[in-house]
Amino acid sequence: MRFILVDNILELEPGKRIAASKVLPASEELFRDHFPGFPVVPGVILTEMMAQAAGRCLDAEGTHPGRAMLGKINGASFREWVKPDQEIRLHATITQNRPSFATAECFAEVEGKKVCSADLFFVFAPHERFAEGHQDEVLLTYWRNHPEKQPKAR
Amino acid sequence: MTQSEAVAWIAQIFEMAPDQLTPDTHRDNVPAWDSLGILTLMANLDSDFGIVLTDEDIQAVKTVGDILDVMRRYGTFTSTSS
Repeated sequence: MRFILVDNILELEPGKRIAASKVLPASEELFRDHFPGFPVVPGVILTEMMAQAAGRCLDAEGTHPGRAMLGKINGASFREWVKPDQEIRLHATITQNRPSFATAECFAEVEGKKVCSADLFFVFAPHERFAEGHQDEVLLTYWRNHPEKQPKAR
Repeated sequence: MTQSEAVAWIAQIFEMAPDQLTPDTHRDNVPAWDSLGILTLMANLDSDFGIVLTDEDIQAVKTVGDILDVMRRYGTFTSTSS
């Protein structure tokens, strides 16, 4: 399984809020063990989905000195089981946005019902730590489809 | 807010019991006062008290007393008594 846990960005205000979606297909190997005969998406994976959505919201601004990386999980709640093949809608609102850190309130919903939420803290890893020229394919796809929304390069 | 309450606030930022910190406590003696701890401190000073510090400001903070001085400077507390 690749560790890209956002399929599509649905709505984006860089640095402010994002809505995205993800489907984990039933064929994913992790469901063999979580759990046998009762496959459900692990809470830690749901948390990572929310973090990746929020992180892309921050990265989309293009103003931070690095890429957003999850630093702390201040709290997370898991209210409903999420099954394979269900479309998970991910929502993140950036509550603090500073050059060296950011915070986000996130939740996920399935069929309009909130299934989990998390309060996340982000730090920024310097761009030079990452593969040269690497660009996030999920954000790239969004910008390709919404070129008018991409912040101008500074 | 009293000084002892401010010390208790700082202690919970660094995941310690309040009685483990004094104004003289140096950051080298606080395990959670690492790069993540510094950012957590900055974030909570911002969200709880509206105190926004730059990276340069925070690098000058080396003891619990330095944090208290920042909080006092921004009017978070005025009393020096416990």
